[in-house]
Amino acid sequence: MFEANSDKGSLQVRDVSKFFGTFCAVNGVDLEIQRGEFLTLLGPSGSGKTTLLMMIAGFLDITSGDIALDGTSISGVPAEKRNFGMVFQGYALFPHMTVRDNIGYALSVRKRPEAEIREKVDEMLDLVQLVDFADRKPGQLSGGQQQRVALARALCFEPPVLLLDEPLGALDKKLRVEVQDQLKDIHKRVGTTFIYVTHDQEEALSMSDRIVIMRDGAIEQVGTPYELYEKPANEFAAGFLGKSNFLQRADGVYALRPEKIDIRASGTGEGEPRLSGTIQSITYFGSMQRIMFLTNGGEELEVDIDSWRNRDPLEEGQSADLYWDKGAAVKLEG
Amino acid sequence: MKTGLFSHFNRAGAWVLLMFLVTPALIAIPVSLTPKRFLSMPKGELSLRHFEKLFSSPEWMSSFFQSAVIGVSTALLATALGTLCAIGLWRVSSKYSEVVRAFLLLPLIIPQIISAMAFYRLWIPMGIIDSYIGLILAHTILATPMVLITVSASLANFDPKLEQASKNLGASNWTTMRRVILPSVKPGVFAGALFAFILSWDEIVVTLFISKFSVYTLPRRMWNGIRENTDPTVAAAAVVLIAITILAFAFSAYMSRRNASKDTA
Repeated sequence: MFEANSDKGSLQVRDVSKFFGTFCAVNGVDLEIQRGEFLTLLGPSGSGKTTLLMMIAGFLDITSGDIALDGTSISGVPAEKRNFGMVFQGYALFPHMTVRDNIGYALSVRKRPEAEIREKVDEMLDLVQLVDFADRKPGQLSGGQQQRVALARALCFEPPVLLLDEPLGALDKKLRVEVQDQLKDIHKRVGTTFIYVTHDQEEALSMSDRIVIMRDGAIEQVGTPYELYEKPANEFAAGFLGKSNFLQRADGVYALRPEKIDIRASGTGEGEPRLSGTIQSITYFGSMQRIMFLTNGGEELEVDIDSWRNRDPLEEGQSADLYWDKGAAVKLEG
Repeated sequence: MKTGLFSHFNRAGAWVLLMFLVTPALIAIPVSLTPKRFLSMPKGELSLRHFEKLFSSPEWMSSFFQSAVIGVSTALLATALGTLCAIGLWRVSSKYSEVVRAFLLLPLIIPQIISAMAFYRLWIPMGIIDSYIGLILAHTILATPMVLITVSASLANFDPKLEQASKNLGASNWTTMRRVILPSVKPGVFAGALFAFILSWDEIVVTLFISKFSVYTLPRRMWNGIRENTDPTVAAAAVVLIAITILAFAFSAYMSRRNASKDTA
């Protein structure tokens, strides 16, 4: 089956900056990417995540710093010599070629023998479950199928690193979840290093080994999805990955996730409530309900509760108490 | 009912306009079928004698052949040059390239009579007046901007990510050009080649200036035929000229349709 480059594929990004004129798109980024890792660059548009990916791919020169593959600098190597696979936003499939020719393109430009290309493409078609579509043109495929062709094309020459630029952006939500699972599965099977750019926090959380949160060209925080969600380093990380309430206290700012708060009608909870106040509004989302809460001290908090727990319904304007476990509120840096 | 009446008027108007546009071109067809020896509308009787004369006359056949050679050569040369220009300008794409583009379109903008004079004055010292080379070169200069326009239009729709994808997959610049960029702009290249051929095929102004005895193209022979006598063979030649032009367009329409259906349906 598929043989990954198991000894290759670690990537070192050292103090990399990119200026467009005087505008700084990426500012002194340091990043160590392990071989076989699924790493996600997550950030809003303009955060520099795509610029960083384009520099790794070799489509953009770096202004300063260095990028190395397995310890060897590749900063001066042109894109066509880097051997990195890439799945483009919108896929960039060659419209005049069949699915088979698209997938075999990298091997064909490397002048591999016809029989070898055929065998390898068959293997890739099998991997992405498109065996019956080999002779179609990309225009005859659905969005999800095109996405899989793009993936197969980028993996066919066994690159040590695969770069993915918002590959699911063009798919509708239901299909996106399906393709996320397939992507994760393929990553496990091929063992290639995946560097994945997205602005979708759910995608990042569900697929990545590690997430890099970026803002204004710089890294805000790096960690596993669990670390980032449970222990956000700063207000931006806490607010961008999931939702957060921010509590100003004498010793600093604390982040508190809305779903970690328990809400009870005034005086009905056990023990001492953390905060008391009134319910401003309740929005029904089916499985959960979002409560906007104003404390007696004048702080606004968002509380998410599962709908099944609100059986004795709380109502707008009612006074209520808030409870949460010790450690649920995380102290932020700075 | 009101809309029905309006659409009737609309349709009638469209037909009148269409007839107004194509009748002058089609008038050659009945004239070419006249049994008389001079240019006239046939009355009752039809005859193919002028076609027979056309195809059995060595002069007319030689003019057909010369026009075809010059037209095809012009199409090949102009297509190669125009395509390279278009891709080069697209690749550089700065404000200077737009100035260069405007410059390259000048042959289309300058009145042909001016170009004709310029060619005449230049071709004499160069010794290529009244030769195949001279005519092909002049027609190529006139036709290249056509190709530049059609290929540029194709390139405007080309997704630059395809080029990045090709490079990312390890293809050199040349391979990317040959296997990705050129196939994508193929419709523009074909359209440009067709326009270049047709431009040369019925070009008369420049041809009158820079050819005399040794090169005698079809439009030139028709011109002389009308000026010197009123032989209806000219009308027969015109019908053949129109037929070949329509065939060329039909072929290109068929090709572009086939391409489109191959890519999507």
